[in-house]
Amino acid sequence: MQPTSSMKEEFLKKWQMGLQIFRPSIDNTSVSERKKAIKLSADVAMASLRKGTTCWSRALIEKTATEDNFLVRQMLTGIKAEALINKKLPKKIVCHRKIVRRSKKILRRKSRSASEEAAVKAKRLVKRRTQGLRNVVPGGEFMSNDILLLRETLDYIVSLQTQVNVMRSIVDAAEAGIEQ
Amino acid sequence: MMKGALETDRLLNSMDMSVLERQRAYLKYHNPSFDFPLAGFFSDSPMINGFLGTPGLDIPVIYSETTVEVCDPSLSISPEDITGSGNFKKRKFDTETKDRNAKKMMMMRNKEEEEEEEEEEKSKITEQNNGSTKNIKKMKNKAKKEENNCSNDSSKVTKELEKTDYIHVRARRGQATDSHSIAERVRREKISERMKFLQNLVPGCDKITGKAGMLDEIINYVQSLQRQIEFLSMKLSVVTPRIDIDMDDIFTKEVVSTPMTLIPPSHGIVGSGYSHEMVNSGYLHFNPMQQGDTSSDPLSCFNNGQAPSMWDSDVQNLYGSLGV
Repeated sequence: MQPTSSMKEEFLKKWQMGLQIFRPSIDNTSVSERKKAIKLSADVAMASLRKGTTCWSRALIEKTATEDNFLVRQMLTGIKAEALINKKLPKKIVCHRKIVRRSKKILRRKSRSASEEAAVKAKRLVKRRTQGLRNVVPGGEFMSNDILLLRETLDYIVSLQTQVNVMRSIVDAAEAGIEQ
Repeated sequence: MMKGALETDRLLNSMDMSVLERQRAYLKYHNPSFDFPLAGFFSDSPMINGFLGTPGLDIPVIYSETTVEVCDPSLSISPEDITGSGNFKKRKFDTETKDRNAKKMMMMRNKEEEEEEEEEEKSKITEQNNGSTKNIKKMKNKAKKEENNCSNDSSKVTKELEKTDYIHVRARRGQATDSHSIAERVRREKISERMKFLQNLVPGCDKITGKAGMLDEIINYVQSLQRQIEFLSMKLSVVTPRIDIDMDDIFTKEVVSTPMTLIPPSHGIVGSGYSHEMVNSGYLHFNPMQQGDTSSDPLSCFNNGQAPSMWDSDVQNLYGSLGV
């Protein structure tokens, strides 16, 4: 599952479109502002590639939309921005936490053998890592089960690789252009 | 003792549990002391021990046996069941409440045992076989015990029939078969499959064993990618004021060049159309000088298209030449 060139191409188109929309803000501002605009447009372009089929892209669009609503909406006109932004993410599960905690307490009361203890420790480590992954992947807190989280992570990584590849090639080309 | 022998005959022939139990119960009610020799007979019976000695390893033979056994109660019980239970009920009403309480206790205990044994059950194929061995074990237990009851027995038979109805999920030997553990196993398999994909995707992850380490690596990789994007956008923002136009030019070049090299006929038209649009949209006339400049040199590597699978290698060449 390497980023395909068709994906890169599509991303490039989307990003270019976004940059055109962002152009007024890119042209006459400070470097940080410009950087923000570039990153935002790249993020939205990447997220819009998935057309709202994945959790992370929806979460990312939602996040960027809160930052710069108008431009993002403009950028997404091609793919029904309203529907995407307003599309509900799966609900966060909060209400069961209490029950889970209580059951854990009950479980803890039982005395365990050494091997069981080790298994519990390993499980805890994995759980902490999973939580970390959830924080890293946009919209991860909405992904209630591990399978979904891993699938989204896969997709997210592929998209990130695409983005990095394209951006790097452009930066390189631009730098080469300056040098000469 | 005659009856005991008769019962063992029945046991060996048909494994008809409920009939057996009922007869024993009947026997017990008439002559309570008679139970003990019977118990001894049961537990010492070499046939039973021999049967127990082969716990489902020899699949074809025992499978045929078990099918007979499982089918048998349903066929042979049905006619006798009504009268048997009736008898039992009559007897049950006759007995004292103390006795009944004791029976209930026994029933509870038996059920617990049954559940434990259910958890021990191994696989789809050997399950039925286990059931049969379970039957025999239980018979032994019961024969040793002074009391037993018919209702428990019949419930067990129905349970077993139910069980034969819905065994669909495959479980390997040594794996639990209750629905929760099956669902958990399916989940774990899915997760490990995904993890394998991730392992292929994330560089350096294939050497790590263990889920925690892999997750660590994945998190690091995602974060590094995010940081890279941050960094690259920073770089671009610094670079753009000077080559604002170049970027657009790069876009057009790339958009044109990629489809041409990859899928010549259909995408080529789209690509060229797109580039036209770009040219018309007015970035070309912004600064023609610079445009000419850029198209001549660094972008030549985008244009020169050595072979069909160009994009990646071109980019790689670019990296190499720039030492980034």
